[in-house]
Amino acid sequence: MSDDGGLWLLLAGPAGATALYWALYRYYRNTDKSHGFERETKVDAKPVTGAQSDVKVDDIKGTQRSRIEGDNVSAYRERVQRIRDD
Amino acid sequence: MSDSKVPPPLPRQPVSGPGSPREVPPLPGTLPVDPTTLPDPIREELEAPDPVAIDTSAPELADGQNRCPKCGSTDIRHKAGTDLLVCVFCRNEWEGLRVEELFGLGEGIDRLRGTVVASGARDIAADAAVLMSFKCTGCGAEVTVNTESAMTARCHWCRHVFGVNEQVPNGAVPDAVLPFRIKKDDAVARIRQFVHKRRLFALKEFKEQFTPENVVGVYMPYMIVDGNASADVAGYGEIKTREYTRGTDNNKKTYYDADIYRVERHVDFTVDDLPLESSSERGNLDTRVNTNNIINTILPFDTKNAVKWNASYLVGFNSEKRNQDVAHLQPRLEDQLLSIARAQVEASVRRFDRGVRWEREKLDVHGTRWVSMYLPVWLYSYHQPGAGDGMVHYIAVNGRTGETMGSVPVQQWKLLLAALTTGTFIEGVVIAMLAGSS
Repeated sequence: MSDDGGLWLLLAGPAGATALYWALYRYYRNTDKSHGFERETKVDAKPVTGAQSDVKVDDIKGTQRSRIEGDNVSAYRERVQRIRDD
Repeated sequence: MSDSKVPPPLPRQPVSGPGSPREVPPLPGTLPVDPTTLPDPIREELEAPDPVAIDTSAPELADGQNRCPKCGSTDIRHKAGTDLLVCVFCRNEWEGLRVEELFGLGEGIDRLRGTVVASGARDIAADAAVLMSFKCTGCGAEVTVNTESAMTARCHWCRHVFGVNEQVPNGAVPDAVLPFRIKKDDAVARIRQFVHKRRLFALKEFKEQFTPENVVGVYMPYMIVDGNASADVAGYGEIKTREYTRGTDNNKKTYYDADIYRVERHVDFTVDDLPLESSSERGNLDTRVNTNNIINTILPFDTKNAVKWNASYLVGFNSEKRNQDVAHLQPRLEDQLLSIARAQVEASVRRFDRGVRWEREKLDVHGTRWVSMYLPVWLYSYHQPGAGDGMVHYIAVNGRTGETMGSVPVQQWKLLLAALTTGTFIEGVVIAMLAGSS
């Protein structure tokens, strides 16, 4: 085993301790809970439109990221730039 | 330099980021760690059953059935031009009380235009009095009702009960009320079960003083909003075209090639009965200073079954007064509508397997309808002394569905000790592995 791999593994202890601390803290204090209105409210939506106008604008080669930078497709509550009519 | 002075307090920022109510909450019953990997006492706590909550989509509550009190038939029509309901089967007539039918809520949401405000949700007059006096019709005494915390009072002299029934412009009288369905004993049992699952690391004083019988039934003020809106979102999405590894054994790295697309989506949608806290104090979900997110979590209620306001429902319960008008709640409504829109379009961008980065969003609210409502909550509270005013920890039970959520104060040293012990154990295993392999 190389030195690099060994050093990386040594982080497992602190990482495990932190993960357990936060998991139990949230389990007791429930600070991450709120009303899941996105799925608990009755929403009637017409079919989503716009899929036919998806256009390829660029490509990337050889990135090490497994997801797009700034992926927020599931972070519904993260607000982005708001466009207003006026 | 003015380093001797106390720095000015930081501006109040909304709590955000991981572990805050600004994050989409995890699905009920899910845990970030796999309990089977944990020591037995912790695993047993985590895996103990949760208090059962009735799903509001359950037929029992969601059917909205109104039965004829005489024959039990559900074939009931509104008798045009009156406040009566008529049973088509036996022609029995009686007064309908559900506001859903009474005010036509839940109907025509897709045709809503502008802001429709029910009478009980009107703006609060600045000079409206909180204390209301009645002259007792039984004995002539003056009886006062403090609408901050109660809507009924009893005459001390002749035991007559008074209720604030007419709508006064202080915001205390809502359009509708949803009566308690969960009984106190049931609420106590649920709170006990909830805390029983969280004993190992709970604060010692909390456990010693735990008396769930002290739970209080409170009617909390909410605005129930129907909305008709359209949203546009725009951003970029990526589709993976190739995945490959480079490098030798120990230095292997994964690389990806991807196509980048410009993505735009549009969705028209209506929401039915979105509840918003209409008390500024309860609407503040800052988990650093309060545990109001607990009360927020037990939403929603089966608001379809709410009945027209009658103060008699509140006898024996506390109530909190509304202090927010429609205009105050508009930003929060728009924020939630945008979140709902983003959730709605997610399924349409599944083909972007490397995810989507939304960069711009736009919301057009075509119409909204606001109804103010008192919703029933069983509330157990524990005051933890500490910096500032300390922290009030709530355990709340939804008075209709029984959904239970709470904040149990933790004994920090115990929790840290458990985390450190686990960390040390993992580290020991890792070191043993490394020593064995070298």
